[in-house]
Amino acid sequence: MRKKLVALLMSAAMAIGMLSGCGSSSKSSTGSVVSGNDAGGQTTMSVDGDYTTLTVWTFIELHQEFYTAMAEKWNKEHPDEKVKLVLSNMQYDDMHNKLSLALESGKGAPDIADIELGKFPSFTSDKDIKLRDLTDVIEPYKDNIVQSRLDIYSKNGKYYGLPTHVGTTVAFYNTELLQKAGIDYTTIKTWDDFKEAGIKYHNATGKEFATAETTAMWMVNLMLAQKGGDYIDADGKVDVNNDKVAEVLKYIKDMQDAGALGVVPGGQPDNEEAYPYYNDGTYAVQIMPFWQTSRFTSYMTDLKGKVAIAPVPKFGDNDATWTIGGGGTGTAVIASSPHADLAAKVMAFIKLSPEANEEVWNVLGFDPVNTSVWTDTSLTQNPDNKFVQFFNTKPFDALLQMQDSIGSLKSLSESAAPSINNIFCTQVLTNIFENGADIQSELDDAQQQLENELDS
Amino acid sequence: MARTAAVKAGSKTKHTIGGTIGLIVLFTILAILIIIPIYALFIASFKPGEQLLQYGLNLTLNFKEWSLSNYKLLFFGHHDYWIWFRNSMILTIITVIATLLVSAFVAYGFAAYDFKFKNVLFVLVLAIMSVPFEVIMLPLYKQMTDWGMMDNYAAIILPFMAHASTIFFFRQYLLGMPKSLIEAGRIDGATEYGIFFKLIVPIMKPAFAAMAILNGMNAWNNYMWPLLVIRSSDKYTLTLGLNTLINPYGDNYSLLISGAFFSIIPILILYVAFQKYFIEGMTAGAVKE
Amino acid sequence: MIKKVFYSKKAAPYVFILPFVLTIALFWIGPIVNGVLLSFQNVLQDEWTGLHNYKRLFTDAIFYKAVLNSVKYMIGTLVLLIPFPLLFATLLNSKLMKHPNVYKSIYFIPALTSVVVAGTVFRLMFGESDQALMNQVIGLFGHAPIRWLRRGDTAYFALLLLCCWRWTGVNIMYFLAGIQAIPTDLYEAAEIDGASKWQQFKSITVPLVKPTTVYVLTISIYAGLSMFLESFMLWKGNNSPNNIGLTIVGYLYRQGIEKRNMGYACAVGIVLLVMVMIVNLVQLKLTGTFDKEDE
Repeated sequence: MRKKLVALLMSAAMAIGMLSGCGSSSKSSTGSVVSGNDAGGQTTMSVDGDYTTLTVWTFIELHQEFYTAMAEKWNKEHPDEKVKLVLSNMQYDDMHNKLSLALESGKGAPDIADIELGKFPSFTSDKDIKLRDLTDVIEPYKDNIVQSRLDIYSKNGKYYGLPTHVGTTVAFYNTELLQKAGIDYTTIKTWDDFKEAGIKYHNATGKEFATAETTAMWMVNLMLAQKGGDYIDADGKVDVNNDKVAEVLKYIKDMQDAGALGVVPGGQPDNEEAYPYYNDGTYAVQIMPFWQTSRFTSYMTDLKGKVAIAPVPKFGDNDATWTIGGGGTGTAVIASSPHADLAAKVMAFIKLSPEANEEVWNVLGFDPVNTSVWTDTSLTQNPDNKFVQFFNTKPFDALLQMQDSIGSLKSLSESAAPSINNIFCTQVLTNIFENGADIQSELDDAQQQLENELDS
Repeated sequence: MARTAAVKAGSKTKHTIGGTIGLIVLFTILAILIIIPIYALFIASFKPGEQLLQYGLNLTLNFKEWSLSNYKLLFFGHHDYWIWFRNSMILTIITVIATLLVSAFVAYGFAAYDFKFKNVLFVLVLAIMSVPFEVIMLPLYKQMTDWGMMDNYAAIILPFMAHASTIFFFRQYLLGMPKSLIEAGRIDGATEYGIFFKLIVPIMKPAFAAMAILNGMNAWNNYMWPLLVIRSSDKYTLTLGLNTLINPYGDNYSLLISGAFFSIIPILILYVAFQKYFIEGMTAGAVKE
Repeated sequence: MIKKVFYSKKAAPYVFILPFVLTIALFWIGPIVNGVLLSFQNVLQDEWTGLHNYKRLFTDAIFYKAVLNSVKYMIGTLVLLIPFPLLFATLLNSKLMKHPNVYKSIYFIPALTSVVVAGTVFRLMFGESDQALMNQVIGLFGHAPIRWLRRGDTAYFALLLLCCWRWTGVNIMYFLAGIQAIPTDLYEAAEIDGASKWQQFKSITVPLVKPTTVYVLTISIYAGLSMFLESFMLWKGNNSPNNIGLTIVGYLYRQGIEKRNMGYACAVGIVLLVMVMIVNLVQLKLTGTFDKEDE
């Protein structure tokens, strides 16, 4: 009896598996709109008439929807050059690994791939770069695009990636908490002001103002860029133990020692373990790229109406830059693809055109790379927009103030960048801010390790 | 044995009951400890995904927050979970059947015959058993790429069909089989292969059950090698698919947790169905001297 | 003619072992040889570099760290996953125990979960939040929350706990199978001689399940030294703070897949192979398994 039951259960389970499996696969091939794709997997558009099929690899679910919607716009405007995108969503590390292995073996690569900024340099470091030079398709849009965001995906003056957003680093202040502690965030102009406010906040509340990052470098990179420093020297050689890097870390360490900064669980504001600590007011301030807005609306929902977006503090008026772009994904076209030219044109439209950039703000809540969108107040101050509703300042005000001074670190597009980032985020920052290690000797160690690693 | 028990029964009753209670307490505590993570996963599957994202996994019960939304998403949402599920199902069934048949076939060769190089080859079986797969993973990956077998289930199944430890286990099991069976078969005019399929396979049931569970577990939960081999996301298995939900760009815990919990069920059914033979099979095939 | 040969009793054994020979030749021996060859090359530049990869490996501090982590992990699993399961199996097999099958089934459940699922569950249990399970537990004893996966000692604990959780039940099964093969009259005789349970365990069970113990020891050494996925899932990838979760295979994966350093990664693989072989040979020698075969 029991055996029969078990057998029955098992075959039922299998049948469910098979049936629903077939069901959903047919769904994705017939559905004309791919929106509402809850998770992962492969999505295909349906297109009438003649078209070219382009395969796209991404690791960001939302991009599938976005690319499909924009490709449909493209098809409408270019009836003789219709495309059908077949998108595969893969795991982040896995997608990058597979892409590099596919490019190396010359087998199984897609036509188009999203490559994250941190991984990009490893695709442009070889002698023969396997990505298509996109300079020609960027040209028509170039005047309105934030230059530093093109530069991070470039090599020897050629552009290989289409940026998704600027990721302008801004300050997010919890105004409710700050008011209680008697702090007016609009008076914070310099890092010294920031530090002072942090100490005042700590004395008033016993809590920490902001975080010293241990698993990311949003604030560290910002401060280093403001000082005009970098992780490489003028010849492009790794130089992570230079004075400017040490000064920045020292400055942050001083703030930590003064009680202004703590180390948030997860080690940085953009982390699942960290969100609750901002959400419940344990920490009050985040120095983060603009796209953190979407994390607020998804994971820090209790803060609605309590957060102001402001320009980041600077060291002084002689800073090399006011802010920098942080994070990002460059869309690349594989040079060996038989449809590389078409793919490049289509993706330039999907990523850089004004209509695409409107959607980048509307749907994703990112600061668009095409700044022609930034001044369109019907868009940026649209009262129906959930990001506009969430924050108690106009999100683009801070951006427009810093618009002409959005820089970058040169090292981000160097082949050493992934290794530098890795050693800082797994070792240097943890040891300094969590284990109290000596800054200079940690940096010297890191320099030594990087030289070993990159030499051989 | 009955007599010894009876002799002791009078004097040791108290002791015995105490011992039984002690053992039950000990093993119940152990069982609870072992069940906790599964239980935590189970209750998490009724909580909103964002909560998990924010507070981690815990045993807090707050029924007000409970909802079936994760399961609604799992069963009715638009996603590829059931494609992964079907792929895992197919891959597991094929792998288990192929591995059991081929390995039993080979094991019978080792157990029933004497032939040249037998000892050398059997030592090879033992040697292969102690080579970590990870050692050959990269060269094998390269080889599969060169042979054009990437993104193909065959590349996942073929290298493990003649599975060294399964062969070893079956051979141990078959060493205990009566040789007269083979002789009887020959007298009846069966071919060597006929003997294997008609006479030997039926008596191997408990051994098959034990190995079906172990190989089924491996196939269902296999991750590393399929990760390297499979490229198209419509060929993803459950483990690969579930892992795409863990992403620095927005984790999808709602589907991950309900999907993870549900993914245990088929293999649990397999285990429950065969467990009666499991110990029996394991004992018969156990390492002997 | 071919048919006749195929069906002859002389050819039959070779037909039977043919699938094994083919598999081994194509998918094991080939890649191992190839791995050895690749370890002397720089694959990306397609050139022979002699012992360069090995020389680099033996001066690579991170590799030593990975080896140390793997060895520590292996030792931890041996200490925890052999004596305790053996003891539990003996007790479960005792006549005093009621419904042992129910318990056996429960203990086996964790092994049915994939490392992807189990690792994710443990990662969340060991979260840094004060509301994550492990922090709640130590909170009961008044301890402040710990950043479990960011410290070497607590991370080691998390890895071992995950391993024990998954494998205790399986090892109990192996030992039960071994114990049930021991003739019961041995115990009866000992009982009559007045031997205590502990004495019976020490002088009958332990020596007689030795083949099983050796088997479990062998696979534990193998599995311990080649552990990777557990760490990969616990840290959501191959990077952990100060590499506290990096293992030998993790380093192989990092070099071969993430950094496209196939030759160097193959050298890591060969070193791992040699390590597993040596440890197992020593182990088999010490447990006297070879001596038996000589007799």
